[in-house]
Amino acid sequence: MTASAGYPQQDNIVELGGVHVTLASSAGPVQILRGIDLQIETGETVSVVGPSGAGKSTMMMIMAGLERPSSGSVRVAGYELTRMDEDALALFRRDHVGIVFQAFHLIPTMTALENVAIPLEFAGRKDAFDRARDELVAVGLGHRLTHYPSQLSGGEQQRVALARALAPQPALLLADEPTGNLDGETGGQIIELMFELSTLRKATLVLITHDMKLAGRCRRNIQVSDGLVIDRASEQYPGAGSPG
Amino acid sequence: MNADYPKLRVAFALARRELRGGLRGFRIFLACLALGVAAIASVQSVSSSILQGLRDDGQVILGGDISLRQLYLELNEDQLAYIDRSTEIYTHFTEMRTMARQEGGEKSTLIELKGVDERYPLFGRMELEQGVELSGALGKQGGIWGAVVEPPILERLGVKPGARIRIGDIDYEIRGIIKREPDRVGGGGRFGLGPRAMVSLDSLDDTGLLRTGSLVYHHYRLKLLPGKDIDDYQADLKTAFPAANWRVRDFRNASPTVERMVDRLTLFLTLVGLTALLVGGVGVSNAVKAYLDTKLGTIAMLKCVGAPNRTVFQIYMLQILVLAGAGIGVGLVLGAMVPPLAALLLKEMLPFNLSLTAHPGPLLLSALFGLLVTIVFSVWPLARVHQVPAAALFRDTVSHSAVWPRPVYVVMTVISAILLAVLAIGTADNLRFAVWFVAGAAITMLIFRLAAWAILRATALLRRPRHPGLRLALANLQRPGASTANVVLSLGLGLTVLVAIISIEGNMSRQVRESIPEQAPAFFFIDIQSEQISSFEHAMEGIDGVEGFEKVPYFRGRIVSIKGLPPEEALLDPQYEWMIRGDRGLSYAAQKPENTTLVEGEWWADDYAGPPLISIHRDVNKGFGVGVGDSITLNVLGRDIKARIANIRELDWTSMQINFAIMFSPEPLRNAPHTYIATIGSTAPGEEKVQRELTRRFPNITVIRIKDALDRVNDILGKIGTAVRSIASVTLIAGTLVLAGAIAAGHRRRVYDSVVLKVLGATRRDILQAFLLEYGLLGLLTAAIAALIGSLTAWAVVTRVMEASWTFVPSAVIATVVLCTAITLGLGFLGTWRALGQKAAPLLRNE
Repeated sequence: MTASAGYPQQDNIVELGGVHVTLASSAGPVQILRGIDLQIETGETVSVVGPSGAGKSTMMMIMAGLERPSSGSVRVAGYELTRMDEDALALFRRDHVGIVFQAFHLIPTMTALENVAIPLEFAGRKDAFDRARDELVAVGLGHRLTHYPSQLSGGEQQRVALARALAPQPALLLADEPTGNLDGETGGQIIELMFELSTLRKATLVLITHDMKLAGRCRRNIQVSDGLVIDRASEQYPGAGSPG
Repeated sequence: MNADYPKLRVAFALARRELRGGLRGFRIFLACLALGVAAIASVQSVSSSILQGLRDDGQVILGGDISLRQLYLELNEDQLAYIDRSTEIYTHFTEMRTMARQEGGEKSTLIELKGVDERYPLFGRMELEQGVELSGALGKQGGIWGAVVEPPILERLGVKPGARIRIGDIDYEIRGIIKREPDRVGGGGRFGLGPRAMVSLDSLDDTGLLRTGSLVYHHYRLKLLPGKDIDDYQADLKTAFPAANWRVRDFRNASPTVERMVDRLTLFLTLVGLTALLVGGVGVSNAVKAYLDTKLGTIAMLKCVGAPNRTVFQIYMLQILVLAGAGIGVGLVLGAMVPPLAALLLKEMLPFNLSLTAHPGPLLLSALFGLLVTIVFSVWPLARVHQVPAAALFRDTVSHSAVWPRPVYVVMTVISAILLAVLAIGTADNLRFAVWFVAGAAITMLIFRLAAWAILRATALLRRPRHPGLRLALANLQRPGASTANVVLSLGLGLTVLVAIISIEGNMSRQVRESIPEQAPAFFFIDIQSEQISSFEHAMEGIDGVEGFEKVPYFRGRIVSIKGLPPEEALLDPQYEWMIRGDRGLSYAAQKPENTTLVEGEWWADDYAGPPLISIHRDVNKGFGVGVGDSITLNVLGRDIKARIANIRELDWTSMQINFAIMFSPEPLRNAPHTYIATIGSTAPGEEKVQRELTRRFPNITVIRIKDALDRVNDILGKIGTAVRSIASVTLIAGTLVLAGAIAAGHRRRVYDSVVLKVLGATRRDILQAFLLEYGLLGLLTAAIAALIGSLTAWAVVTRVMEASWTFVPSAVIATVVLCTAITLGLGFLGTWRALGQKAAPLLRNE
């Protein structure tokens, strides 16, 4: 299933309405998100900033169907995620969402090629490995196909993770501080690649970052603070909307 | 939503890739499975090799295609003529128990005497030392008959080949030493109390041993004409001589006694092996749990990129199955290697060759046991993949709290457990025993689970002691993720088996060794002729130190029908089948014997002379459901005697007093030819004299020294005990492996703890003390529970199954406590020592 063919065309790819997330802890319930309303248009590039513990990652997990809201509605790519069971959510992610993590999260026992092919294999794609190879070539790792994560540098690992996230051609690309574990130069290269490829694939990019300069490259900036969204859609950064 | 679910193929591919991570963390898993499967596979393979060997060499072991055995009497002329006509060849030999004496000396010994004709053996070869041939060794040379003997006869009589020994009334010259008698186990199937001496059948007439009523078995071994069907021939025999008293067997079942014993021992050892596998199952479960702990990130990742729970479960289940396959494979290879070794070890004990061809059946059975144990013990921990959220990549949300898996996994586990039980019971030849074992194993595991829970609760509820080491030890026993429960279960189960076996064995040897001789007579005498009995009794009185002379008439007979039914049909409980297997010893008495209690009915009047009455032991009543007033027909000396049951008796077999399952009223047997058996008590110095005097004066009377017989029984028990203990120790090894695995799994935790404690100022001694206290407590508690459950199991087996009196065996319990504490402390010490060696700084920097 691809962005253009499979899912219902929407103006807004993400629609969060009154999303609350309360987690239980030994010290009592902790309110992580306290009523978030947010719409993200298809094809937008959005940065999410805010202090640690503000709820940025939780909001992203909500969008990916990795976390269930305590209340509120979550509509992504036309699907109401709150009504789907765990396995349906897994299939939804497989077809519509790509995620890039700060810690890469590659599977250590698999080669770069195999890591990238996994979501395509789950989707039953016969050309999983050909596609994975193309993706790795696209991120500049055509010569590292058979390397294991432990044989790759941090930047290379994140490129593999990016290729894996983009391989199923998701409509929504979520990135949680993708440069947090990389040095400045390598991080910059990864960001360039991510913007370039997401624009090329017409994927909506949601990027969590602490780097205000990086945030400024997105068309729209959202600040999360204490479980609430302060949307700065109107505040246009210089050069916003024209990534790369 | 695209319903294109990932196929199993993807799961396969991913499982294969994940396995590249190597066997790290699976060594205990593999060892547990390999050990358990190897135990079962070796028991099953050796058993199959023995049984197949019996079948392959059936004709040699039986000594013919068909065997006819008859007590007391030779076949009559008609019968001999028929056999001569209808077979290619036949041989006749006799077997009896008698005494051999040193010529002119004072030494004597009990022997199993076999008198053979010149055609013996029809199959196989009689092997004698130094290439001596049997044919030339037994004949009369210079007026002296020859004999070949087993080495113990030479030792006991202090003679060498070429010397003369006296058997009955004549001397024999020892002309050869028996190396291998081809049909030793297929012979009479009797319990060999003495070594073998073989003489010519013709010589027996001169010995004076073949008297009326002497316990002589006449054997005929037949080689059928080519092409003659065994079953047809047996049918022909039955038609020709419907009333014949012989016992017919054919080579396809050459030694039912050995087969029965092998079957029983196999079942018992297989079940003990299965316990080892169950204990190993706990190790499997621990390993799976520990492996999944290292895979939480990967599992979350797989879910993140769209893997449904089912696929993730499949990926890991497949890996476990592949690894289990490897463990099982190693176990099978080890198990298959045992028969050739056993063949070497058993060569002296078994007078036939073990079949050394591969036995796929037993190996397949062992593999199935291994596979089912793997599934039973890994599905539950694997089901945890459902609880690993994809969000774990963002936040550590995996809890250690025990959550019940989804119903489908519970059902999967239960079905596999049921299949395991069905396999254990279905492949056992003693259903009752297997059912008890399965129930017992399940209950024991449940008890250990509960006990572990109780320990955890108790340590949680205890007030924290002031001693910091003890406080830490108690806290560690019940910290989240602690392996206390699994260690208690696995090590405890292994120890329980050991305690139970040592206790049962201890009780058996105690019965045999200690309690019996106090009350038991010193000698049994058999084959005392009616006309000898008074002079024998008189001779007895003249020997110092002899007391308590008891004599009873003795003859043997076979149950022909019970309440008008063939005995096989009347049999209600298979455990009493021994009563109708061949001849039984019988007696008659006018008065009720001492130490006998009547449970039902009345004893007959002293002068009763009416139709035959019998008194039966309660076992006959239990085995065949017969009571007072019912009738039983017995064949005695070729004559059928129908007798009515007058009463039912209760008696203590272990008293070693002469007793019989069936006793007749005196008429009409008083006048039939029969012998007497007698017992006497004697002081130890008197024993030598009794044997010397009596064998000299009454050469035909067989003297069985109880002590020698008990030594022989003990010797056999000891050999069986060694086999049982070695398999049981496998269970303990499995338990130890599980403990070692648990300690290895907790290594990181111990390193962390010891570093933190060191930072806080604890010395290495303090830390070591705290950890050793933890393991010491764990060991002691586990040992205490194992000692209790093991002793209870042994008590149940001894009092309920063996119906014997119970003696507590403190050595079993002490040994267990010491062993268990030593194992836990030893392994705990090793683990802790490694943890203590870690430098604090690197760990703290990483933290």
